[in-house]
Amino acid sequence: MIRATSLALLLTMFSVSATAAEKGDAAAGKTKAYTCSGCHGIEGWKNPYPNYHVPRIGGQNYDYLVNALTEYQKGERSHPTMRAQAESMSEQDIRDIATYLSSITP
Amino acid sequence: MKRTFAMLAVSMLATAAVPALAKGDLEAGKAKSVTCQACHGADGNAADPQYPRLAGQYHDYLARALHEYRDGSRTNPIMVGFAKPLTDQEIEDLAAYFSALPGKLGTLKGHVQGE
Repeated sequence: MIRATSLALLLTMFSVSATAAEKGDAAAGKTKAYTCSGCHGIEGWKNPYPNYHVPRIGGQNYDYLVNALTEYQKGERSHPTMRAQAESMSEQDIRDIATYLSSITP
Repeated sequence: MKRTFAMLAVSMLATAAVPALAKGDLEAGKAKSVTCQACHGADGNAADPQYPRLAGQYHDYLARALHEYRDGSRTNPIMVGFAKPLTDQEIEDLAAYFSALPGKLGTLKGHVQGE
């Protein structure tokens, strides 16, 4: 009985984790995130036209980051610099970067 | 004449100072934020990873996102519906409120290799 329950639990856990986008490699993401820090690593850094602060992305949620980068890549979200950055990324790059960024704590 | 110049200078300074400040009303933003909490969390730190954390985000970035959802330049079926009826003032109020909440967001300073 215990065995059956733990098996059921394991299966539930597996199916839950499988519904979210699969996570990447945080260590690889840390290296790949070097370019991001050019804008997102400077407190108070602003986008020139139109003029607003570039978002704080350290500690942001994983799935949201994956979606944002994928939208930039496909041109569904328009921002010239972010589009250019995302265009050169593979799906693995996006997952790695999002995994690392979402792991950052203040 | 001198006085006119002085007045002109003062009014120019006042105009120039306005865009740098958060224009929103925190209390009005808090009242309006009830709808947002279902997805973005009661404290703006969304627990469900598909929704972004808003607490502690820059107010002008949050306002920009809402403007983009409202004018259709950023598309998300959920957010477009919520942003469409917002006035400019309501956007400023919401942005001011969420940016003032304590959050888990930060810049990447000190967090990337090669710095």
